[in-house]
Amino acid sequence: MVQRLIALLRRPFSRRGSRKPFWERPVPEEDPIVNSSLAVPMAVSSLLLMVTLIWAFYDEGWGLRPWRAHQDEFVERYSTFLRGLKPRQASQEEEIKASEGYQHLLRQQQEAEADVTPRLAEITAEEGAVDARLGAIEKTFATARSEIQATIYLIETTSGSARKGYEEDREELEQRRYEIVLPGEDAPQELSYVELEDMFNSLKEQQGKVRARKAAVLQRPSRVRREMQTYVANRMEGLTAGQVQGLINSLDDFEYGIHQIHNGDMGLVDRCETCHLGVTAPVTIRAADMGGMELFASHPRKELLDVHDTEVYGCSPCHNGNGIGTVSTDTGHGRYKHWLWPLYPPENMEAGCLRCHGDAARLDLAPVLSAGREQFRWRGCWGCHPRQGFDQERLALLVNQKDVATLEGEKEAVRLLIERTVARADEAETNEEANRLYAEADSLTLRVADLDTRAERERQRGRQLLEEVKTPGPNLKEVRVKLRRDWLPGWIENPHTFRPTTKMPRFRLEEDQAQAISAFIWQSGVNGDLEEQAQGDPEQGKVLFETRGCMSCHAIGEGDEAVGGTFAANLSRVGDKVNYDYLVRWINNPRKRTLPYCPTLKRDITPEDYAAAGKPFVFDLQNNECPICGGTLQVQNPTVMPNLRLSMEESRDIATYLKSRAPGAEYAAAAWLEDSELAPKGRAMVRHFGCAGCHEIATLEEEGKIGTDLTEEGSKPLERLDFALLTQTAKREGWYNHKGFFERKLENPAVYDEGKIKEPLERLRMPDFGLDTEEITQLTTYLLGSVTPEDRVPERYHYRPRDQRSHIQEGWDIILKYNCMGCHQVAPGQQPLVKSLPLYQQEDWREQLPPPLVGEGARVDPNWLTRFLKNPALDEDRPHRNGVRPYLQIRMPTFTLSDGEVEKLVRFFGALAQQPLPYLPKKLEPLSQRELTMARQLFTHPAAPCLRCHATGDLQHDRNATAPSFELVSERLQPDWTRRWMVHPEIIQPGTSMPSGLFQREENRWIFALADLPIMKDYEKDHADLVLRYMFQFTRQEQRRLRGR
Amino acid sequence: MERAKFIFALVMAGVLVASCGGGGGDAEPAADEAPAPAADAKPAPDLSQAGSVAGKVSFGGTTPKNARIRMDADPVCVKEHSGIVRSQDVLIGDDGALINTFVWVKSGLEQYGFDTPAEPVTLDQKGCIYTPHVLGIQTRQKLQVLNSDGTTHNVHPLPRNNREWNQSQRAKGKPLVRSFPRAEIMIPVKCNVHPWMKAYIGVVPHPYYAVTGTDGAFSIENLPPGDYVIEAWHEKFGVQEQQVTVQASEAKEVSFEFSG
Repeated sequence: MVQRLIALLRRPFSRRGSRKPFWERPVPEEDPIVNSSLAVPMAVSSLLLMVTLIWAFYDEGWGLRPWRAHQDEFVERYSTFLRGLKPRQASQEEEIKASEGYQHLLRQQQEAEADVTPRLAEITAEEGAVDARLGAIEKTFATARSEIQATIYLIETTSGSARKGYEEDREELEQRRYEIVLPGEDAPQELSYVELEDMFNSLKEQQGKVRARKAAVLQRPSRVRREMQTYVANRMEGLTAGQVQGLINSLDDFEYGIHQIHNGDMGLVDRCETCHLGVTAPVTIRAADMGGMELFASHPRKELLDVHDTEVYGCSPCHNGNGIGTVSTDTGHGRYKHWLWPLYPPENMEAGCLRCHGDAARLDLAPVLSAGREQFRWRGCWGCHPRQGFDQERLALLVNQKDVATLEGEKEAVRLLIERTVARADEAETNEEANRLYAEADSLTLRVADLDTRAERERQRGRQLLEEVKTPGPNLKEVRVKLRRDWLPGWIENPHTFRPTTKMPRFRLEEDQAQAISAFIWQSGVNGDLEEQAQGDPEQGKVLFETRGCMSCHAIGEGDEAVGGTFAANLSRVGDKVNYDYLVRWINNPRKRTLPYCPTLKRDITPEDYAAAGKPFVFDLQNNECPICGGTLQVQNPTVMPNLRLSMEESRDIATYLKSRAPGAEYAAAAWLEDSELAPKGRAMVRHFGCAGCHEIATLEEEGKIGTDLTEEGSKPLERLDFALLTQTAKREGWYNHKGFFERKLENPAVYDEGKIKEPLERLRMPDFGLDTEEITQLTTYLLGSVTPEDRVPERYHYRPRDQRSHIQEGWDIILKYNCMGCHQVAPGQQPLVKSLPLYQQEDWREQLPPPLVGEGARVDPNWLTRFLKNPALDEDRPHRNGVRPYLQIRMPTFTLSDGEVEKLVRFFGALAQQPLPYLPKKLEPLSQRELTMARQLFTHPAAPCLRCHATGDLQHDRNATAPSFELVSERLQPDWTRRWMVHPEIIQPGTSMPSGLFQREENRWIFALADLPIMKDYEKDHADLVLRYMFQFTRQEQRRLRGR
Repeated sequence: MERAKFIFALVMAGVLVASCGGGGGDAEPAADEAPAPAADAKPAPDLSQAGSVAGKVSFGGTTPKNARIRMDADPVCVKEHSGIVRSQDVLIGDDGALINTFVWVKSGLEQYGFDTPAEPVTLDQKGCIYTPHVLGIQTRQKLQVLNSDGTTHNVHPLPRNNREWNQSQRAKGKPLVRSFPRAEIMIPVKCNVHPWMKAYIGVVPHPYYAVTGTDGAFSIENLPPGDYVIEAWHEKFGVQEQQVTVQASEAKEVSFEFSG
């Protein structure tokens, strides 16, 4: 049969060779059309057609629309869920309605309605009558009015004889009589248009009045009804039964099809909700509610949707994936070769936040991402890797120097211009011209003044930036004065041996490399004299170490026994590493350097330099001018460790304690550290490994960064990530993606050298940080989210607030930089580390915790806060104490913040509490003599022993105080906050030592609740207000007067 | 604008090179080093047949009484005087001679150019009083201000057509040298520390001016023949002018009379 078919097809072609016209050709004996059956081909092709048709239908209905089945399933499961939910909600609603509060409202409502019923009936009847009369004339009047208006229009738009005709028409219309029958009247009336109009207007007015009366009468019942609704709504968890029923009903009209979000402005088309049908449902749906289908669950973090409208932002800008894809899970999730943005894995989901929130130091709703950024900052990844938003001080310093030069240059140019303008004025033809030019010169002069102002501001900023620069690692110029020499080589080789928790990473050094580096570091250190210190008392040192606040940042104890913070070094073995004398100096003032550094001359300034300039060898923040060039010196160690304002004796005690804790290791003598021949090689190695990224090292202060810029690492094409010999393995094992690359690199930075034979200096340089799985996930999330700014979302959608919220972003940088959260609660939900220390678990020590700072911006006067942050002792003459809470053992240290940092912190607290700037203190009415007497009695009354807890300045008394002195109130506190604090301290600070219930509400005022003072009997004003005003005029004299009693 | 940019770039480069330095000098207009006047080639007058204009300025009204000056604010000033000090607004000499009148050739010399005299005109501050009270100076001629007092003064001219300046001068300090590039009748000068101090400077583009002395007489010499307008200015009584024609080598008499 097949052969026949072929023959059939061939036949027409085989004839082509024939030269005769077709009519002369012989009639074929076997006409294929007549003689052969086409049944088989026909059958085959129709079968094919059928199959294709069925296939097309299948694809149309199911193949290309797998979501149809999901939608069916969703509707079924969702309606089952809602039907189950409804009775629960209904019983909840009934319970609420049965409650005393609701019943009370209900009675009120019934009463109110009963009250108004007769009056309402009357008004309704009246309203009906007016409406009926209006109805009777309305049609006639409307017709008449339209006719007249049409005529007026014609008159206005025509002229000549036609106009005259229209004017006659109008007269006729106005004289026409209209017949109307009012309800309740038998006889019709005949009215002119004017009369009709009057009647209509007066009826309208009556109608308005009646309706207003009706609304007034109904006011109370409707108000109570609204209150009832609010009462239920506030107490219902989830929707009411009625609302649930509404949802069930809406499922009857469920729209099968693509559910898509389209934001044309962003170029966004997201069809995710075609399958993820419950994501934005008004009820919370858990997977368990839908028979374990994760697919149909609500968004697990609804609080995120509250601030990101899904109709605007869709899904894929945060989650990645291919929003258009609906044919399969993998296409929708973008998990195929040619899609650049595969869905973020659940553990890295927060990476997406960074696309728009790239500038934020901390995102409350993205803990993993924030932790990743903090790892990046704290570990000093930015020492080697440039990353936008990090090392800002150093970069700003460079820009700043250029800016100052530019401004000075500009000033000079303007000055020359002024000279030329004046010269032209002197030579001008006319006085007018001269005066015009002189005026021009004057305005240019003002420009010079403005440039001076700006240059001065930039210079100040430059000095501040120099104070703000901090390095992740210590200043290595100090090694010779600070360290035991022989300890150094072991540390360089592997710091984790000596201190497993250190953030100093392990470089994979060859022995000769380690030796050369150690030798160079040792030899590049500066020499200096240390004051010799006597031994202290280790017992006292231990007490101080545990109570002054050291442990909010530092831990002590090794391995599982470590207690304390991880922000700074574990100090268990610090005694084996450092010189005692240096340790005392460091504890006393960690910012103290041996020699100042001049960034202009790019070298350290020695006592000899000072002597040559005839100046005393004194350098600190007040004496920071370079004796050689006059530029600003770096006079501090670039460490974030603050000054705890300890006395020398206390410093010695703590140092002795730390020394005594160390196991007392001995190290092999390493005399070769002094071998100057090793130094050049060591310096080259130090540069090769980028040590200067984290440390200040002599001659390498201005070194650049050696690592890859990670600002847009998450957007880097995959081919540019060098998986090296692991490429095939990665593809096979399914981790050939950004996440896989980052995770393995972070876990083992040498991983992509595996299998390669390389010279030591060609190997990968990234050191090993000893990160745990959680830290790797955090950092990976951060890197995945580090994408190019224009990636997917246009920049105008990025979070770049220009209002107070930008102050919050700036402030977090400083809070994290100095670890304020080691001691303070800054944001609700966050707990300071200090609270978890064993000491503060004892009940007597709880009151010794540093104050929480939530709401600080509303509590204190920002001008006071500025002063306090500059000097927390608040008293130049008495540095060894807390300025506000002298009774606390733990001490608010002096961070030597730059003016710029103080400003940012003050604005940060202000912004968190939505405080306006500048702060204008509220004026309080002064007390009358009688009020003063009352306030004093109240203040010292045995029922309100304010001064028992609040510090008074009396040393004996203050030892047991638990609250600040009233002497500080007027300059420190804001009156509005203080008032709220007095009447309800537990709202502002749950668990505070300040008792609640001092005042009770009576009518519209607060009255003293703990005793009835005879003198207050006839006092009609607010008692809390009286105490407040008294506190804001409280002075030291007043304090003495009260104590004298 | 392009030039300004270029200069700006040059200066910037300079500043960058000199990076580590303190603050620069302040922006003080260097008026005393003003560029030499453009030599627009106006010829000097031919003085071979020069004449002169001379005369007297007198006052015919009732002599007003000058206000008393109280120098209590500065004891150094008080010490310099024994009796009552009065302002010098109106000083009348014998025969009604009006002292301190500034007489100058207002017009008729436009076709000539004049060299700027090399010697400076001096204004002294003595006993907390400007001496002389009225003075004339040629445009761009140096004005040398002295401070003979043991106290700080500040010299503050208030011109309308020149640039205003205000410079303090320490007690017995070194002379202040400035000049006025534009003609102006008259520039009042005051001292902000001692508000009673007043002087008037007449800035004239040629050397033909005079100030009447105690006898009320003035004399303008070496004037080339021509038609002139002569103007007399007095601090309180305003201005008067007269047309005169000076013939070759003629000594012309001109008198002014103010009546208050």
